[in-house]
Amino acid sequence: MIPRWFYPLGLIAVCLALVPFAVVAKLRATKSPDPRPQIIWDMDQGYAYQSQQPNALFRDGRAMRPEVNGTVARGELRADDHMYRGKVNGEFATTFPPGIEVNRAMLARGKERYEVFCLPCHGYTGAGDGIVSQRADALQQGTWIPPISYHSDELRNRPAGHIFNTISNGIRTMPAYGLQVKVEDRWAIVAYIRALQRSQNATIDDVPANLRDKLR
Amino acid sequence: MSDKKSKSFQFPKWLNTIRPHLALGALVGPVYLIVLIYYAWSPQTTMVGYQPVQPVPYSHALHAGELGIDCQYCHYTVTEGAHASIPPTQVCMNCHASIWTESPKLLKVRESFATGMPIPWVRVHDLPAFVQFDHSAHVTRGVGCESCHGRVDKMEVVFQDKKLSMAWCLECHRAPEVNLRPPEFATAMGWAPNEDPAVFGARFAAENNLNPREDCSTCHY
Repeated sequence: MIPRWFYPLGLIAVCLALVPFAVVAKLRATKSPDPRPQIIWDMDQGYAYQSQQPNALFRDGRAMRPEVNGTVARGELRADDHMYRGKVNGEFATTFPPGIEVNRAMLARGKERYEVFCLPCHGYTGAGDGIVSQRADALQQGTWIPPISYHSDELRNRPAGHIFNTISNGIRTMPAYGLQVKVEDRWAIVAYIRALQRSQNATIDDVPANLRDKLR
Repeated sequence: MSDKKSKSFQFPKWLNTIRPHLALGALVGPVYLIVLIYYAWSPQTTMVGYQPVQPVPYSHALHAGELGIDCQYCHYTVTEGAHASIPPTQVCMNCHASIWTESPKLLKVRESFATGMPIPWVRVHDLPAFVQFDHSAHVTRGVGCESCHGRVDKMEVVFQDKKLSMAWCLECHRAPEVNLRPPEFATAMGWAPNEDPAVFGARFAAENNLNPREDCSTCHY
């Protein structure tokens, strides 16, 4: 005869067998701040430092070392004043540097970079109504000074080199973007700002005659 | 039990009647273990959902979602380098030198800016050491941020949303169509083509000659 306890015990065992699944289902459905379990350590950790990893050897804890003061890396001399500082003979250049070709692709690149780095404050047209600017104004918090519009005679007459310098090094409360935007991209943004300025200060005569009807 | 003098152990007779049950157990047991390990050991359990506590309560939902700042504003190396770098404190201070200048939440940012010591952000997406993932190679060819990082624009605190396992990488390398989009929309969140993504992706891959490789040395170099 099968003892009476056999079937209840079997039922309990089956129920217990479901517990691990319930635990795992819970793990899968929730987030955890704890480091993930590494069940097999098959070469998960290497000995080489990777980008932006810490290294306790240095006081600032960075494995990636900043440039040593007073040194210039190969290819980073940047002696061309026009290209790298927007100046010709000490004055802001009114033209683009010889190595920079202004064309449709460059303007498209300028628009794309403008919309990443400039748009948040300056807005789509350069009126100074970007979303960060609007929000800062609404918060009345800190010392926010809204950006000025690109569409004044003063700014329209500003030399290209001046605008390049402003992007590179900042102006008044605008921070420097030389760190985030490459040199060629800064010139592309200058070209796009010029296009914005023309677009916001145009008359119907600037539109080719065969396209004028489309604007009405 | 029948022979009381014998000291050797004898299985009780009733066990004979449950032999079919035991056979079933011997069959189901290993299957149970395999299914349990497969389910519990999956990267979906061990990797997805890692959400470390960060030193500064930075919200992607606010900055990338509500304000709509492009991912590249902070992660500006993503189209050029292998690594979409964590921005230096300088980038935080672009805005926070004038906005929320007294906020206690930003204390560590201001401290870092004043002392030059980096903010100890905790890495969320960490691949094994001997696999290389090049961000620029993916982003500039039409794989969006979202495909690997999920809807970061909806995350208050960033967590790992995808498995990032080798099988998961290979799935896409074998059939990338549904994860493709024009590179100009790489950072857009929730982007979808106006047609069936598989149809769009197949055409896009053909037009741009996208043939992701599956050799070992594609990622392990």
